[in-house]
Amino acid sequence: MTQRVVIADGDAGTAEIAAFERDRRELLRRGFALGGAAIAASSVPLLLSVRNAFARATGDAAILERAINLEQVAVLAYDTALGRGLLSPALRRIVRRLRDHEQEHAEALTTALTDLGATPPAAPKGVGDVDKVVKGLRDVKTQADLVNFAIELETATVAAYHEAHAELVEARLLQTAASIMGSEGQHLVVLRSAAGRDPLPFAFETGAA
Amino acid sequence: MDIDGFLRDPQSRRRFLHRSGVIVGAAGSATLLAACADGTTTPNVMTGPDESDQADVEILNGALDLELMAVAAYKAGAGRLRGSLLEVGKKLLEQEQEHVDALASAIKDAGGTPNRAKSSYDFPELRSQSEVLRFALDLENTAIAAYIDALPKLSQGDLRATAAGIIANEAEHVTVLLDALGRDPLPAAFVTGKAS
Repeated sequence: MTQRVVIADGDAGTAEIAAFERDRRELLRRGFALGGAAIAASSVPLLLSVRNAFARATGDAAILERAINLEQVAVLAYDTALGRGLLSPALRRIVRRLRDHEQEHAEALTTALTDLGATPPAAPKGVGDVDKVVKGLRDVKTQADLVNFAIELETATVAAYHEAHAELVEARLLQTAASIMGSEGQHLVVLRSAAGRDPLPFAFETGAA
Repeated sequence: MDIDGFLRDPQSRRRFLHRSGVIVGAAGSATLLAACADGTTTPNVMTGPDESDQADVEILNGALDLELMAVAAYKAGAGRLRGSLLEVGKKLLEQEQEHVDALASAIKDAGGTPNRAKSSYDFPELRSQSEVLRFALDLENTAIAAYIDALPKLSQGDLRATAAGIIANEAEHVTVLLDALGRDPLPAAFVTGKAS
């Protein structure tokens, strides 16, 4: 890095300066990604596992794999909740809609991963896999429990996408991630309203708890 | 950029969305646009280090123009809102103002000068609560589409993350406004700002 600076300050050609600039930007990008992950993880210990999962991911394919897992975990969690018969018809309709959205996200991300030539990750299999993202699904006994659990799950998902924006490289993947993050934010509005909470607590929806 | 008429002119709006990311005409910016047009990767700036900051400033100022217009629109519409909807309108206004403040700070940090609000905006006449809500919905969707279009053109990861946080918040506004209008608050699994 230091050598490159010296070269750029001297009589380097355009191509050398361009190469230096690419390296600089890549290093900056990695630096921001790591810094962002560290700050976020220390502020919200409960969501540590999912934040670390995204922070460890390097390259678009690895980030996509983690995102697919997260979406599939959400589908599994909502399916589990729907299967318990706890929900009023109105809340059941909402949860089914959320579940279907997460499924659409997982499918789109899987297509994107396959397009990169990578193999989709194995699907999560049970509540233990949900626990790796957000604990507490086993303890859901009431509608209120489920809504609070779902808020935590959606918040974790938003946080993961937020951090991924500093690291994703491909333009289309960034845009897909943003459109999914927006959808998860909309889920949070509906869930917060169902829980009687302020539906719009933050001007920047970053997955802060 | 003419932001007065574009909401009523779909062609103008589409042109704006295409232009909102990078407006400068230097050779480096042509590279930026070309890199993003084929949707393959975030751009590699091929010229001096300052140019990526300059391009970021242009993008952020485009976003700032929209946020300033949104603040003006919510102020203009507040007089038609009553009760709980007035409270919603105030909250949305406050959050748009927070976006304005954050974007202005980011622009200054990148060495640029933040655009200022226009002295007046040519908004359509807002004669009822529902007209205010529908106009706000259009503004929010326009902002989302512009941010998503511009997102890959931002060179700095922290700026992309900030923009994503704003996109998610504008998406939340859309859900609140759809609900207030009695419409489906969760119409699609992907929020693009191009349909409501």
